[in-house]
Order: sequence, then C-alpha cells, then structure tokens
Amino acid sequence: MIPRHFQITMALVLLAILISGVVIIQLTHREEAMSIQAPDSAPVVPVVTGKQEHIQVLVAYDDDQALRWRPADVFLPADRGLRAKQTLRAVLAQYLQNPSPHPLAQGADIRDVYFIGNDTLVVDTTAQFADGHPSGILLEEMTLASLIETLSANVPGVNKVKFLVEGKERDTLAGHADLMSFYQTNAVHELAREFE
Amino acid sequence: MRWNKLLLLFIVAAALCGLLAISSAAPQQQLTVYTSQTSYSLPVLDREGKAYIALVDLLSPLGAAAPTLKNKEWRVQLNNADARLTEGKSKAVIRGNQLDLDGKVLVENQRVLVPMSAALPLLTHLLNVSVDFHQPARRLFVGNVNARFTAAFKDGDAPSLTLNFSQPVHPDGDQEEIRNGVLFTHSNRTTLIFKKEPLISDTNTQQFGDGAIQSMAFTEENGRALLTISGNTHLNIVRSDDGKTITLRPAAPAAAASPASGSVAAASADNPRRTQEFFVMIDPSHGGYDKGANFGGKLLEKDVTLKLARELRKELEERGIPSRMLRDSDVDVPMERRAEITNEQRAGIYVALHAGRPGHGVRVYTPLLADPQQPSGRFIPWENAQAVALDRSKAAGQAVAGELRKRGMNVATLGIPIRPLNNIVVPAIAVELAPEGDDLQSFESVKRNAGIASAIATGIAQARTQIGARP
Repeated sequence: MIPRHFQITMALVLLAILISGVVIIQLTHREEAMSIQAPDSAPVVPVVTGKQEHIQVLVAYDDDQALRWRPADVFLPADRGLRAKQTLRAVLAQYLQNPSPHPLAQGADIRDVYFIGNDTLVVDTTAQFADGHPSGILLEEMTLASLIETLSANVPGVNKVKFLVEGKERDTLAGHADLMSFYQTNAVHELAREFE
Repeated sequence: MRWNKLLLLFIVAAALCGLLAISSAAPQQQLTVYTSQTSYSLPVLDREGKAYIALVDLLSPLGAAAPTLKNKEWRVQLNNADARLTEGKSKAVIRGNQLDLDGKVLVENQRVLVPMSAALPLLTHLLNVSVDFHQPARRLFVGNVNARFTAAFKDGDAPSLTLNFSQPVHPDGDQEEIRNGVLFTHSNRTTLIFKKEPLISDTNTQQFGDGAIQSMAFTEENGRALLTISGNTHLNIVRSDDGKTITLRPAAPAAAASPASGSVAAASADNPRRTQEFFVMIDPSHGGYDKGANFGGKLLEKDVTLKLARELRKELEERGIPSRMLRDSDVDVPMERRAEITNEQRAGIYVALHAGRPGHGVRVYTPLLADPQQPSGRFIPWENAQAVALDRSKAAGQAVAGELRKRGMNVATLGIPIRPLNNIVVPAIAVELAPEGDDLQSFESVKRNAGIASAIATGIAQARTQIGARP
C-alpha cells in the first residue's frame, strides 16, 4: 500500500512536469517565430519617419511610344532626399517587372541622390542602369523623361536633375540621351507632353 | 629688375606658342590594313616613344574574338591558329613558333597593345599568307591585294586627265576638309585621298606640261594613298558610274564662284570660314568604337547611318545642294567635335542620322532647349548654342517631316534635348530610322533608305530659303 502523502507528492511532481513542458513548448515556438523574423540582411539604417502614399508615376510604354501616368503605392519618407530616391525607384520597379512596358536590365537601380541647394538633384545610378539600357534616342529619352517627370510631380521644388553612373559622369545613357547636362524640369515637361 | 620682368614675359609667350603648337597637332596616326574582303584603319598609339596598336583592333575585323587572359597569358584565336602573348615580354607563340614582336607587350584597361611593327609577323603566321607592310606609310597589304591605275593626259584647249583604276574607288578625305570625296588643299593643287583602296604605284611623279594640269604625284602617308594633281587653276572632278574612272578638267570660272552650281569643285576649302555658301553637314552618328544600337548579328547602327548618309549625299548632289560628311568611314568622332566642326565650317544645316527601336517609320527630332531665349552678349553658352537657330531648326524639321509623310511614311516629330544638336549654332535636326515592325533587316533595305534620303533632301531643298539666313 502506497502511503497517501507519497501519492500527493508524486501527483504534484507530475503536475509540475506537465506545466514545465507546456511553458517550454511555448518558449520554443516564440523563439522559432523570432528566428524567422530575424534574418533581415538589409543594412541597419536610422529609423525614418514616413507613410505609405498613393502617388502617380509616369511610365514609358515602348509599344505605343508613349508615357502614361499610373498609380503606385509607395512608402515615402519625410526626408526630401529619401523621398526622391524612393520615388525614382518606384518608376524603375515598373520597368523591372515581367512583362515590362519598357524593359531595363536587372540591377538597374538608384544608388543614391544628393541635393545641391534646394532645387538641384544629382541622381547616382547603378552601372546596370546605363550599361544594360537598350540603345536608341526614343528609348533613352523616354526613360529619363519618365524619371524626371515623376520626380518633379512628387518632390516639389526640384528644377534641375543630373544623372551619374556609379558616381561618375558619363556622356550618354546608351549612346544617345545626354547625361552630361543638367536637365531642366521645365524643358522635360514639354518633352513629356509630346509623349503623352 | 626690369630685365627679369622681360624674361618672364618671354617665357610666358614661349609657353603660349607651345600650347598653340600642341593644339594644332597633326591628325591621329593610323594603320590601314587591306585584305581581299575588307579594308580597315586602326589608331596608332605612342607608348614610350614607340608606335603601338591594340591587338583587338588589328584582329577583330578579320574575325578574331577579343584576347582572353589565361594563366598570365593573353590568348587569341584566328584561322584555327592560337597566338599567346605575355605582358612585358617581347615574344609571342603562334602555331608553336616563337616570334619576335620588336617590343614589349603592354596591357592597358584589359586591352593588349603590341608594337605596330609586330603586325607583320602576327598576320603572316596567323593567316598563313604573305603580307606586305609599307611601314613608313603605315599601310599593310594582306595576300596579293592591290589596286593600280593608269593616267591619260589630253592637252589642248580643253585639257583633261583621266585616271583609270583596276577596281572601283571612292576617294576620301580628312574630316574637316572633305568636299564630296575630293580634298582641295590649295587653289592650284587637288588631292584625292584613298583610305579604303589598296592603291599602289610604281611611278611617283608624272609631268604633263605647264598649263591647267601640270603634274601628278603619288604618295603614301598615315594609312592612306594620295594622288596630288598640280596646275594653275581649280579642277572639276567627275567620277564614272562604275567608280573605275575619274576625270579632272579645269573648272569654269562661273562654276567656281557659284555656290549653287552643284559642282564638286565649287570652292577652295583651305579656309572653311571663308566659305559662306550653303551646304549640308551630314552626320552619320556613332562610328569606330561607338557602335550605337546593336540590331542583332553584325547589323549595327553606325553602319546603317553611314549607308544612309552616303545615300543622302547622293540625293543632295542630284538636287545641286553641296554637302559634307562628318565621317565617311568607320571612325570615332567625339560628340563635341561634331558640333565644333559644324560650327567652325558654318554649315547651312546640320543633319544627324540615327537608327533605332521601337516603333516603325521615321522620327524627326528638333532641339529642345531649357532656355530658348537668344543670348544677348557676344558669347554664346555651349549648352544653349542652338538658341540662335532654334526657329529655323523647327522649320527644317517640319519640311523634312512633311516630305516624308508625302511619301506615305509614318513620321513622328519631337523636340528633344539630344547632343550635339543643342551645341550647334546653325539649324540642326536629327532623323532616326525605325524598323518596319519587327523586321530589323528593313534597316538595310536599299529601296527604303533611298526613299528616306530622297525625302530628306527634298525637304532641305524646300526649306533652304527659310533656313539659309545666317545669324
């Protein structure tokens, strides 16, 4: 005959083991959930404030030789430089999808943007943006016009835009469109209107 | 102290003279290779006081791929033969034979450079054929390729000199001095320049008398052959349809003075600024290393534009409109230089020719300026130089587009900020051929290109009175 106090002790021990098991299982699940979220390889950047915005981007359509405004939901930071960069990337995202209305090479991206004063923006692009760009007057001008017009519409106060490739000046985008000059946004308005 | 100042002034003046001498330096040195299939020129570079050439420039027109680096050796294949070169070494191995290259192999930006004199052993052993190298003139003949000529002089009241060639010829000239394939260097001396033809001669000089045509000299220099005809007047040059005969006759005085005569001997070009006649500056865009758009295979924009330019030149000639071409061979002319030449020579109108996707038909572009206001001072900003001619450029663009439409072509007109249009002070337009749908071979259609060239020439002829006025 097992003594009563021993039975009670064993019951309490089993209960403790059961509770411990449940707690351990819960902790394990939480750890796994955290480990899934953890491997974000993005560089550590300061927290930026901003919000998701519904903007219009000017998209080039090769088949129609036209530029058309299209809506896009983009997270736009409050900082003016970051806002310009994200706006330009929203245009490139349209061209990098498959199928694309105006195909660009994979890797075409905006490395960085710099403001000179308040009204002049220097846009530094990746090598793939220029090296892999299809050659032709119309194709190259449509790319630049769509970028500058979208920028002008979503980042007020930009009057001049200059493009660099991997931090350096280049004569042309792919043999035709001028990359040495500063593009005046008012002149590009006129060009974009001709494409619309 | 005063002497010190004078000495300083003298040094500064000497330095300025030196700079001027450098700025007016001789044209770029080049080597021309003639084969039975093709002729091509490549730049000659000065390295450590020795003439060098890029291996890829020498071999790629013959079908070789660019040299590849393997185990510190640069390898290139041609005609089932393998050449191996090592940076810093003056020997190469071809088909198992060791060759002396007459200098070290250099590598710059992944480009293998070899001494120019090494072209002879390299081509001889790679191609397994005899090669004749006229080294001082930088002309290299592969195989038994050559072209010869005979000269027949007719004296009398209407003297003439007839040159018969063993193959069709197309005399060429320096970028800034060419006038319809004929170079006029002096009022009493005419020089025909042959860049593509493997022209050789056993006789250097022939004497004809002391009248309008006195003598002819054959010379070779800088990768080209020259025939210089001396006399006491301008000469009129006529090339036969088959390109094998060129006849030179004294030009009538009226023809020499009339800018609209269409004569190929209209005026001396030794001082382009002095020439105030209307002429069309044709710019076949791209050239040399700048290939422009690639339409698949060997079809490149630079070749399409050159063919169209030659067609346009012919169409203009037929309408009595003089023209000059910014390039008439596969050479690289920097964008800014194209604008400088056009501005210096005071062209009547500049026409850039392009070819590209997408769409179909033809696109006519006029300049688009950020600030279309004409400058008020004596100096014109380079980026805005076109402001003085913008209205006339638009008029020319409309005339050309209208003429293209009349011929049933699909035409788009656009104002764009494209170089070098905005840097040019005379009316300037660009014409871009688009393919017919997906048919990229349509770029090579002789009939289509002739129709487009004809429409451009007619458009220019119509707009000439509007655009001819100079600022």
